Amino acid sequence: MEDDSSNPFRRMSSRTRKVASKMAAALASTDNRTQAALARLDALENDNVGIETVEINSNDEDSFDDDDQVYLQKKQSKGSKRKTRQAKALENARKAPRTFLELLHEANLESLPSHVPSYLRAAVGPPNSSSRRRFCSVCGFTSNYTCVKCGMRFCSRRCQSIHNDTRCQKFVA
Amino acid sequence: MSKVIVVDNGGGLIKAGQGGERDPTTILPNCMYRPLSSKKFQHCHPINATATVTEDLTSASIRRPIDRGYLINPDLQRDIWAHLFSNLLRINPTHHSLLLTEPLFTLPSIQRSTDELVFEDFNFTSLFVADSPSLVHLYEASRRPYSLISKAQSSLVLDCGFSFSHAAPVFQNFTINYGVKRIDLGGKALTNYLKELVSYRSLNVMDETFLIDEVKEKLCFVSLDVPRDLQIARKTGKDNLFRCTYVLPDGVTHMKGFVKDPQAARRYLSLPDGATHRPLEIETDMDQPEVIEIAEDRKKVDFTKNEFDLTNERFLVPEMIFHPADLGMNQAGLAECVVRAVNACHPHLHPVLYESIILTGGSTLFPQFAQRLEMELRPLVPDNYQVKITTQEDPILGVWRGGSLLASSPDFEAMCVTKADYEEQGSARCRRRFFH
Repeated sequence: MEDDSSNPFRRMSSRTRKVASKMAAALASTDNRTQAALARLDALENDNVGIETVEINSNDEDSFDDDDQVYLQKKQSKGSKRKTRQAKALENARKAPRTFLELLHEANLESLPSHVPSYLRAAVGPPNSSSRRRFCSVCGFTSNYTCVKCGMRFCSRRCQSIHNDTRCQKFVA
Repeated sequence: MSKVIVVDNGGGLIKAGQGGERDPTTILPNCMYRPLSSKKFQHCHPINATATVTEDLTSASIRRPIDRGYLINPDLQRDIWAHLFSNLLRINPTHHSLLLTEPLFTLPSIQRSTDELVFEDFNFTSLFVADSPSLVHLYEASRRPYSLISKAQSSLVLDCGFSFSHAAPVFQNFTINYGVKRIDLGGKALTNYLKELVSYRSLNVMDETFLIDEVKEKLCFVSLDVPRDLQIARKTGKDNLFRCTYVLPDGVTHMKGFVKDPQAARRYLSLPDGATHRPLEIETDMDQPEVIEIAEDRKKVDFTKNEFDLTNERFLVPEMIFHPADLGMNQAGLAECVVRAVNACHPHLHPVLYESIILTGGSTLFPQFAQRLEMELRPLVPDNYQVKITTQEDPILGVWRGGSLLASSPDFEAMCVTKADYEEQGSARCRRRFFH
């Protein structure tokens, strides 16, 4: 899980850093920079991270609405057959609201003929008249340098050292 | 004839009220929050009510029924609507019709769950689903009966909302759906971006969504010349026109955060090409004494830790909507979005559309937004076409007012789908009646 393998020269403390699962996956893949960038964009649409799972767990334990009653009865009628953790997780996953991207995938909009306007075709598409401007990830001013390890931008030695100490390859979500 | 309830169900705010009125009865954040001190999610207070109730919003967790603009959690939406209808509007849905706004290109599965919500959970007698661009057009056209918008019966509605921004051409009160272009950036992403910047550079505010929302509304503005403003933001001391301090609530004396020096926060307006803002500046000079008094009063309190400075963040955050590429997003900016939306329409419409651009949605409230858009748009539009950008007097309520107008029109009843229709034909067939 740790990124030590990708960066053997950097000595780390043995205490594990908390790395977000998506970021860990992104780091493991070949094109990890783009994946990291995508995950970051995705994070811009999040509310509070990880909230849904917390809510569902607490719901199962301390509130007893109809659903849970049924669930409990079922549990008792089955007697000795207990629900495994996996089954419980599956049930939670079924109950949890699906994200928009999942619904979008399910709607299968790609299969529509090309003249039908749809959610996918309404996106503006890549820019023509302007290219990406780069801003320093530390202070926000225009940046001339790219970090060789992670591809983020910085503008000066000072920002570089701050970047190395605090942000380089530390994706904590 | 039953009364019509108009609900503009936005990702950020629900605007709801009786059809035919000028302003919505309630503006409610479309979310439930859980403060640190509690285990249960609570309903938000409507934001236009008298703010006597103090809510503890620090580090509140938020759940929203709407993700990326579309309704994905009908259960949560049912809770919020039930609260809205019974406690805030005080109506019984079984005796009312509903006019509901829905984003463009809503997926069929989401439409079905919306219909179920309206007819099966709330038992409304009838439903009309409208899209926001046509409602905004309707409102603007009726407000100015002699303008080009109402004479040509067409306009380009640029709606920068909470979840995304749409440029939508409207012709004869119908949105031209093949011309609609979308940028996946809205107020929510901007707030989260500001949150990320502040958390990295000064204080960890990742959980303070409501607070940062307010900071964004109060302090962010659109820059008219980014390289120049970046240079100014680099300066130290008094030369730096953009630096300003936001004081966080301490929970004892101030339950709400505030800008430390509101006068200083407005200094950017005195920059050379902010010429049109000069009169505004004089205006602010008039009420200067009062403002300073407040500022002095607040400066006495020693906040050693509970504040953060903003400099270039103030204009780099709204900048993202004009240049999503800077975030690493492979999407064109707002100006190009407008051009592409217009180009997708019939060439005869082009000059009319460029001359009747209507700005709506909460994210257009950043100061100098319209000016910047015009600056970017002009070089992209052919010389012989005029560019005219109309701003609404209240961009957040524009859609609702259009809906209220539509609901009060005499043939509204005939356009609705009734509960009987729904029960007989099901969701998909009923939806065809709305032409989208």
